Amino acid sequence: MEIIGDDKKIRALFSEAKLADEQAMPSFTSVWHQAQSQALRPRRAFKLSLAAVIALLVCALISLAVWSQYSQPRATYSAFADVPALNSLAASVVKAVDEVSTSLVQKGTVHKPTRSRITRSTTQSNALIVASNGKAAKEVTNIDNWQSPTATLLASQTDGLFKSLPQLNENANELKSFLPGRANEKEK
Amino acid sequence: MKIDPMEIVDFKAELERLHGCSFGWALSCCRRDATEAEEVLQTVYLKIFEGKARYRGESSLKTWLFAVIRKTAATEYRRRLLRSLRLAADPSEANDLAAPLENQTASFERSEVHTHFQGALKTLPRRQREALHLVFYEDLSLREAADVMGVSIGSARQHYERGKKKLRESLTRMEIGYGNNWGRQENPSAV
Repeated sequence: MEIIGDDKKIRALFSEAKLADEQAMPSFTSVWHQAQSQALRPRRAFKLSLAAVIALLVCALISLAVWSQYSQPRATYSAFADVPALNSLAASVVKAVDEVSTSLVQKGTVHKPTRSRITRSTTQSNALIVASNGKAAKEVTNIDNWQSPTATLLASQTDGLFKSLPQLNENANELKSFLPGRANEKEK
Repeated sequence: MKIDPMEIVDFKAELERLHGCSFGWALSCCRRDATEAEEVLQTVYLKIFEGKARYRGESSLKTWLFAVIRKTAATEYRRRLLRSLRLAADPSEANDLAAPLENQTASFERSEVHTHFQGALKTLPRRQREALHLVFYEDLSLREAADVMGVSIGSARQHYERGKKKLRESLTRMEIGYGNNWGRQENPSAV
């Protein structure tokens, strides 16, 4: 690198600065030994940033677990409500599970506090199914008892005649009595 | 991960040879704070000792060491800044942190010329100051300076030229002419 003119002056200023720096320079041995002693010193095991990250992860996992637990029953409710065939199937499954669990409880093998999550969720769904079944049964009885408001206008005296059927051992003359023209002749 | 003791012995001799230059460069990276520069150097040696900074022979040892010092100084500066912000509520500790910054100039202010020169250098942008320091103080070529700064050679050349121009202007303004006019001549063929 060729340095001429102004560069020489700048270089001179820098070399003077270098000389001044050398006076303030710490010895290599002291700096090296300090670094070595720092390396041999046991490191702090607990790191704040790492702990914060772990705490955040734990919080996220807990909230995810809670969310999944509370969001599941709604989904099963809608599914069972939409498919009535599944209702009966699920009801029978739940009933069987309940029977097994109650028998186990009676035998003393299963304790109340150690009830599993599956049993809990099936009990919840069972309650929902029972409620929906009751509602459906009520609707069926309502439909069965329904009467048309114009049914009374259609009623007549010969309703019984239309609804009754001729017997097999009746003779032809008696059968003729069903005909309206013949009935008039008889009266004459 | 620690490096081989034999390797360290060889390396130590090389580092000792470059210690003066390394300290000068660390001073420049730490805004001429001698205490901070010493801490940075210590951290660099620690990195080397622990094997966190490894020389792979891709460039000269001096260039590699200067790049490590530059990066460490930047990290230390950020850490210091965060610490000072955290301690802003406690003025006594904040004053303790600021104390070396005030004391560091005392050792260097031997003459008025140096004071003016350092003042002029401080007015330059960091990249330009670095380019000038690496070329004039550390006797590095522009390519080596570019490697240390982590920029292309073209960019390093730009920083060097602009820095030189600004320094000249600053010195002229401060009336340190060394008996001549600083802005009189251009020197495009310096590198």
